[in-house]
Formats: sequence, C-alpha cells, structure tokens
Amino acid sequence: MQIKPILAAMRRHKAGTILIGFQIALTLAIVCNALFIIHGRMARVSRPSGVNETNLFVISNVWAGNLSDHETAVQIQADLDALLQLGSVEDATALNSFPLHGSGWDNIIRMKPDQIHMTTDSSIYLSDDHTLNTLGVKLIAGRNFTANEVQALSIQTMASWPVIIVSKDLATLLFPKGDALGKQIYATNNNTPSTIIGISDTLQSHMMDSDDNAFAYNAVLVPMREVGSGYIHYLIRARPGQLAAAMREAPKALIAQNRMRIFYANDGEVTFAKVRAKAYERDYGMAVLLVIVSAVLLAITAAGIVGLTSFWVGQRRRQIGVRRALGATQGDILSYFMTENLLIAVGGIVVGTLLAIGINLWMVTHYGVAYLSGSYLLVAAIALLLLGQGAVFAPALRASRVSPIEATRTA
Amino acid sequence: MLKMTHLSKVYRTEVVETYALRDFNIDVKEGEFVAVTGPSGSGKTTFLTIAGLLETFTGGTYHLDNLDVSNLDDNARSKIRNEKIGFIFQAFNLIPDLNVFDNVEVPLRYRGMKAPERKERIMGALERVGLASRAKHYPAELSGGQQQRVAIARALAGSPRLLLADEPTGNLDTQMARGVMELLEEIHRDGATIVMVTHDPELAARAQRNVHIIDGQVVDLAEDPRFHTAYAAAAGQVRG
Amino acid sequence: MFAYYLQLGLRSLKRNPVLTALMVMAIAFGVAASMITWSVFRVVSGNPIPWKSSQLYNVQVDDRGPQYDDPPNEPPEALNYTDAVALMQAHKAPHQTLLYDIGPSVLPQNPNDLPITAYGYATSADFFTMFDVPFQYGSPWTNADDDAHASVAVISNELNKRLFGGANSVGRDVTLAMHTYRIVGVTNHWDPKPRYYDAYDGMEFYPDPPQVFIVFNRAIDLRVGMTGRNNCGGPPMHFSSDEEWLHRECAWIPFWAALPTQADAQQYKTFLVAYAAEQQRAGRFHWAPNVRLRNVTEWMAYKKVVPSESRISLFVSIGFFIICLVNTIGLLLAKFMRRSSEIGVRRALGATRREVYAQFLMEAAAVGLAGGVLGLLLTVAGMQGVGLLFEPDVARLAHIDVSLLVTTLVVAVLTTVVAAFYPTWRAAQVQPAWQLKSN
Repeated sequence: MQIKPILAAMRRHKAGTILIGFQIALTLAIVCNALFIIHGRMARVSRPSGVNETNLFVISNVWAGNLSDHETAVQIQADLDALLQLGSVEDATALNSFPLHGSGWDNIIRMKPDQIHMTTDSSIYLSDDHTLNTLGVKLIAGRNFTANEVQALSIQTMASWPVIIVSKDLATLLFPKGDALGKQIYATNNNTPSTIIGISDTLQSHMMDSDDNAFAYNAVLVPMREVGSGYIHYLIRARPGQLAAAMREAPKALIAQNRMRIFYANDGEVTFAKVRAKAYERDYGMAVLLVIVSAVLLAITAAGIVGLTSFWVGQRRRQIGVRRALGATQGDILSYFMTENLLIAVGGIVVGTLLAIGINLWMVTHYGVAYLSGSYLLVAAIALLLLGQGAVFAPALRASRVSPIEATRTA
Repeated sequence: MLKMTHLSKVYRTEVVETYALRDFNIDVKEGEFVAVTGPSGSGKTTFLTIAGLLETFTGGTYHLDNLDVSNLDDNARSKIRNEKIGFIFQAFNLIPDLNVFDNVEVPLRYRGMKAPERKERIMGALERVGLASRAKHYPAELSGGQQQRVAIARALAGSPRLLLADEPTGNLDTQMARGVMELLEEIHRDGATIVMVTHDPELAARAQRNVHIIDGQVVDLAEDPRFHTAYAAAAGQVRG
Repeated sequence: MFAYYLQLGLRSLKRNPVLTALMVMAIAFGVAASMITWSVFRVVSGNPIPWKSSQLYNVQVDDRGPQYDDPPNEPPEALNYTDAVALMQAHKAPHQTLLYDIGPSVLPQNPNDLPITAYGYATSADFFTMFDVPFQYGSPWTNADDDAHASVAVISNELNKRLFGGANSVGRDVTLAMHTYRIVGVTNHWDPKPRYYDAYDGMEFYPDPPQVFIVFNRAIDLRVGMTGRNNCGGPPMHFSSDEEWLHRECAWIPFWAALPTQADAQQYKTFLVAYAAEQQRAGRFHWAPNVRLRNVTEWMAYKKVVPSESRISLFVSIGFFIICLVNTIGLLLAKFMRRSSEIGVRRALGATRREVYAQFLMEAAAVGLAGGVLGLLLTVAGMQGVGLLFEPDVARLAHIDVSLLVTTLVVAVLTTVVAAFYPTWRAAQVQPAWQLKSN
C-alpha cells in the first residue's frame, strides 16, 4: 500500500483528519489514566486484611449507663464470657478498632526515647488473649498474651504497656534483620518502652486513607481493655455454618447481660464481608465510574470514526469508481481506508501519549498518585488501534463495493 | 440591463495563469432574449456565473440594472442575486429535502417576505408553469421536465429583472425540452430579460439575438474564421 | 426566520436518523456524566455559610513546638483544653466558641424502651449565633449559663420528635449519659454541608445532623466522653488519669472566633501572637509564637474538605464531555458538508453567509436540545446510581433541583452550538458558484 497518496488525500481533509486524530488522542489520554486509577483502586480492594473474614462478625457497642472504668472492664469480661457460652460462637474478643474499620488509634513508633521524628506509624489495637484466634491470624513467633496480662485502659490515659505483639510487616520494617522478638520499641507518647513478645502473621491496620498506604500493614497489639471512651467492638467468630445463628443470638446474650447499652445504628451487627465492602466503597465506586466512562468513551470514539469515514467514502465515491475502473481491486480500496485510519490513529496515539503523561504528571503533583507505567499506555494504544481498525472496517468494506460505473456518473 | 466592458477573469494556480474571459464586452438591453453560444471551454459558463454574481471577476466593469457591481461585498451580492436575478440550472438544483412548494419558497424566505404574500407568489408561479397541483410533491416524484418547470417557477416567484439560464434543456428529452423552451418564450413575451447559455443551435435560433464566445471573448460570427471550425465541432457533439 | 430554520433543522435531522441519534447520544452521555459528578462536586465544594464565611475564623496556636509540627510550621489543627479555656476567658472577639464531639446515651421517656445514642457537641452559647442555628422552640442558652456551668441542653427537632413526638419540649428534662439537663431550645433542621465547623474531627459529610448540644463547662465537669479526634502528637508525656490528660497539650477542641471586619481579624491575630508570647515568657512554650487564623473558605481549603474522588471524577467527566463534543464536531462537519450542494443552491438563490450560519447553528441547537433532554433523563437515572459511585455520606447530599435541570439543558445547547461553529463556518464558505461549475 502506498502511503504517499493517502497522506496527500488526508491533507485535503485536514479538518476531519485532525478531529478523528484529536478524538483518539483525548480518548487515549483519559482511558489510560482511567485504567491506571482503576488498577490502583482494584489493587487496594483486593489486598488481604490478614484476617480470616468468613464466619466473622462485629457488634459495635456503646455504654448507655454511667459505668465507672472498673465496672466497664468487668462488664466487658462478663459479655465475652456470655458470648463464649453460645454454642454457635467459636471465639470472641473485645477491641477498640479492627482492620478496615477506618477509625481507631494510630500512634507513632519510635526506636529510642529521645527520638523526635517517628520511625513509622502504626495502628494500636487494644486487644486480649483471644484476639489473634478470633481474627484467625497466626502467631508466627514468640507467644500470645495471657489472660492475666490484660488490663483496663481509658483512651485518654496514655498508660505504658510492658508487652506487645506486632504484625509481621511492622516487625520487618523496624528490624530488617528479622530479630524483632524480644526487642524494645516506643509505641506510646510516654517514654516507657514495650517489649515485643510475639510476631503475628500479616495483619492490616484500621487506617483506610490512601495517604496512609505506607502504614497499611503496621499493627501493634496491646493487652488492654478500652474502657474510657464509652464504646467497644466485639469481634465474634461463629462456628462454621452458624454465622446467622450467632448473629441472632449474640445481641440477645449481651442485652441479657445488661440492657443499658446501644448497638451502633450504622454498623451494629455486621458481617466482616460488609465491613470490607464499606471500607472500600469509595475505591469500588471510583473504579465502576471509570469503567463506565471508559467503555462509553471507546464506543463514542468508534462511532465517530464510523461516521466520518462513511462521509469520506460517500464524498469519494466517484474517485473510488475511477480507481476501480483503472484496475484497483476491492482489496486495494479496503486497505486504502484501513491504512488511512491506521495513520490517523498512530498520529492520535502519539499526541495522546504525551497528553496522558501530562495529565498523569499533573495528578502526581496535585493528588499524589503514582507515575503512570508504560504498560497502560501500551494497552490503551493497542486498544485504540484495534478500535479504529474495527470501526473503519464497515465503511471501508462499503467503499470497496463501489462499482466502477460510478466513474462515469456526474457528481 | 446587463453591461460588461473590458471584463476579464483570470484563474491563477501556482504555475499558470489562465484567462477564462479576456476583454469581454456585452450589452443586454432590458426585455431582450439573448442566447450565448460557443464551444466547450470557451468561457460561456464563466460569463454566466459572473453575470449571476456567483463569482467575482478580475478586471473591467460590470453594470447590472445600472448599478456598478464590481466592488460589492458578499452580503450585497447575495441580496442582488435574491432580488434581481432568477437562475435556471441545467441540473435543476432543486433541494431534495424540500417539496415543490418549499423549494419555490426558498428565495422568498431570504427576502423576508410575509407568509400570505409568499403563498400567493408561489402559487402564482406554479400555476404559470402548470404545476400548482403538484405543490406537495417532492422533486424525486417528478419527471425531469416537471423538475425544470419547478426550477423556473422558483426563478419567477421573486419577479426578477433578469433570468439566467444555463443549458435549461440540457438534461431533458426533445419533447420536454420543447415545452420548457415555449415556457421561456412566453415569459419573455411578458417582459422578462433572459440570458440563456446553450450550445444547441436550434435553441439559440429561437432567441432574439445570439452572442458567440470563443476563447473568452465575444466574436462577430460572420467575420471570425475560428468560429466556423469551432462551431462545427461543437455542433457535432451531441452533448457535453 | 427562526421558525423556518428550526423547521429546516428538524427536517434535516430526520433525514439521517442514525447520525442524528449518534450525536444526540454523545451529547446526552457527556452532559449527563458531567452533571452527575457536578451535582456531587457542587455539594462537597460548596460554601456552607456564604453570607459570613469570611467573618468566621478557626483559631490555631502552636502548643507543641516546631520540631513536632506536621506538616512543618503548621500548629495543631485544634486547641488543647488550657488554651481553649484561656481564649474563651480573654473574650477578645465579639463572639467566640469552642466545641468537642459527644455521643451520650439518651434515656427514653418510656422506661421500657432501649436507650439510644445522640451525637452532638459540648459547646458554648455563642455557637448558635455564630453559626446561625435556627430554632423551632425556645432559644440558645446564655453566656451566663456558660459561666454557671448550667445543666441545660439544646436538642434538634429530629431528636425532639423521637423523644417528645415533636411537641414543644422547652422546660422539660432529658437524661444524657445518666445526667439530667433542662431543655432550653429545639433547633429547626440544621445541617450545613460540608460541616466546616467540625472538619477537625472529619465530620464534614457526616450523614445525620447534630442531635444534642450541652454546655461545654458542664460537660467537662461531668467528664462527658469525647467521641472526636484526640491528637497528642507533641513531646512524650505521661498521664495516668483523665484529669491529667485534660491539662496536657493534646489537640481536641476546635475553636472559632467571629470577626466581622478585616481590622477585627488583624487585631485578633495580634492578640493571639501576644497570648503565645505570654506563654513563652511564662515558660510554657519554648518557641516563638506560631498562630493561625483561617476563615471558613481558607479552613476548608487547608483541610482539603473536597474528596479527591469527587474532583477526579468531575475532571474525568469533563474530559469525557469534551471528547463527546469533538465527536459531535466531526459528525456535524460530515453532515453539513454532505449538503454542500444544497448550500450552493441556497447561496445562489440569495442566502447570505449569515443566513447559512443561522440555519446550521439552529440545526445544531436542535441537536443540543435533544441531547440535553436525553441527558436530563440520563442525569435523573444516574443520580439514583450515585450511591454506587460515592460514599453514601456524600452521595445522599447530591440532589436534583431546578438549577441543575436548567444547567443541564443550557450547557447541552450552548456547548453544541459552540461545537457547531467550525462545521458551520465550513458550510458558510461553500461558494454559490460551485453547483453551476460542476456540470
């Protein structure tokens, strides 16, 4: 196929050529940035929490009565005992927050008492000896808390705690040589150190902001009962197949213990699956929006190509007829239009790639997204090339069927 | 009515200058029926497009209805076309999307005429060409002769001072052509000035006066030897 | 002529139904996507109190030292108890208030019902005047009530309906966190979005309006639990009781001052600097005064209240719309140029360029209007799906109103007409002679 005559013809149809090229460029720029965002969001959505999420549910409880700190601690223990009595419940724990919850207590982690800037930041889970088992998170080194180690704590009271369990990721971050066990770190705002007595398998933090991605797997388990803030989350693992029964029975058991309590209206008794859905609804929503936009965008661009190419074919019927009369085969005409579109698409893709990189750089500075990787550009470019060729095929086929008789007709 | 003096029209491309008209002089009096003849490429169509203010010219002067139209802008030229000139094209040039009534209405619309007057004029013009009963038909539903009658009605509806016809029977068979020609003669008898381009000698003979163009100039037929060969060649052709 | 061009435009559109449908759909999708994301964006980025947003100032005082500032050089976003109380007592602004989030239990009137939680604020009398809280019954408590640590409360009309069936409950008692308060006022529905005055606690888009307000001084006396954000990001500190915590440099109390003029704001800032300098002299602060005074708009910008999702999706939608318009330019160009012979004839019959412009722009406007109407339907349908795309807290704020509907139509028609300028210009360039010469 000769490219020169095609270029010459394109020069005669500058406006249409530029419009299609521009549309391809814009589509490429938006679609590959969209793909990039979609992929980023889906990667967040699919990251593991470390928690065995099946058969797990949460009851968020607010104290209505005027319990003292001590009374609260006693009540929590009574609640947990009552829950463990239920045949449908395998294990239960009381926490101030939990993975994917969004709000909770995070604290800076320091390695030395006189250190001003943090080494990292981590979730502080006020937990107990049942926490790891209830969440289904394995202890990979050291030992679990004992029941005697668990004390009561008001959230405003920054007491010190002598022993902690840290998540695998935090342990590796703080002690890259893998010798975290038995070491001391500073995980509170006072200057008493805590000794790492155990290391858990992967455990996600409560923090969900994308700004906190660096801390997403930092968790410190502290053997403390949250008593001062007026609320507590019970995480309850149902026996296999008995989730519904456990979710029915557990609130009743708690009310029977003490009716001066309120279960959150928003997330009173929810399965962990719902916790996950809520935690990622923004990411999921963004991905859905961008998938819809990208799909419609590609459809509209394809339609635009069909429309303009059909117009060109209509305009050049006589010229096509002359070519046919002079011996051009149907294949020649078909490949003429396909090649024409290919050239325009390549031009559009070059411009679109620059545009995409520009948009990405702008988002990097304004929204702190990562740099666009070349593979998205490649995927989007190939998609648009195929789209262009697919869209041009029907009008090109119609052009190839123009009869040589057209040459003899007046316009 | 239509007076061109020393008029020239040059088409320039990057390489050559082509004179379509050169030192072109013509004077058509009010009420005349003039046939312009000449071989293909002689410049007769260029003459017509300039006469109809469809195109500008390069040099000389052109007075239409005693008005110097040499330096008018696009808007003023549109206005004159609309009010003073009626066109009859070889290919009829009816707008396929519009029915007969709406086609005839087009120039009247651009004149800003009120609806009742428009209607009266349209129906008048259609009656004159004998197609009042076809007002709601679309061009595609009419024969070639009927289409050309509609085109003539469209040209007449605005009561132009000057009718320009470009091979008005060129796309018609003999019988239809005769009908159209009779219509033109009748319009002429009613007082219209008509300039018609044709290379059909029979048609030209029915005009009051013949003007011959060769190589972009008006020539005196009897004196120019070039005419005899060129005219014979043109007459020998069936159609262009 | 208007009607004539409209008639011509519609006739022409009917002649190429597929092309017309394509253009109309492109416009409709583009405008609908833009309008849906705009409807969310205008809420999240809106000014919640436009009439006095430049007169209300959030106050910040650095109480922890430059080495702990995060971001650098920025004081904590709320005050500690010591400074908040000191600024209240100094009373250097015509009105000032302080607040913290509470979520006390509310005992039902009927002892057989289960208790409920009511979220709200422990604050001061000026809160209601500063933030223009409307009242259904009664009124705010007074400055004297603040000074007397009075056990009084203001409740929302939503809570009033729940507890008292909507009757005038002023003078009646309500039990919050096991203490009894006398109701002095019931607010009308009041829920400015974003909730600028409590952006510190991340409450910008909290779905429900605040239900209950009690006197700050009384709440501190009774240690009514704080449900908001507590930031003790300063130097290491040790405390073993709530009492000790209260007097440490932990940020948890948003503080607002009403300063009607620029001069007032300047004066108040001078006062804040002097206050911080005084603390430095007294040996409490070991650093130069570092204070901030930000009005509502500045504060919302600083807190980045507008979710990035909303911004990105608005940009994406606008980009999408632009592509739809480019597409429309191409299709209109094809459609208009296909009719160049008609244009040539019209020009020969006396149509001026202006008249060609008018005819084709009118045709484009008809496409735009059709696109707008379809876009309107898509917008209405899409709004039902907004909940899928944004958090429910934000999504429920987006709503359809007359201004959105009008904007949709106007945007659709205007942008289509603008997009049609180039194709129309090309159409108007068609020479009247063209048709004659082609023979």
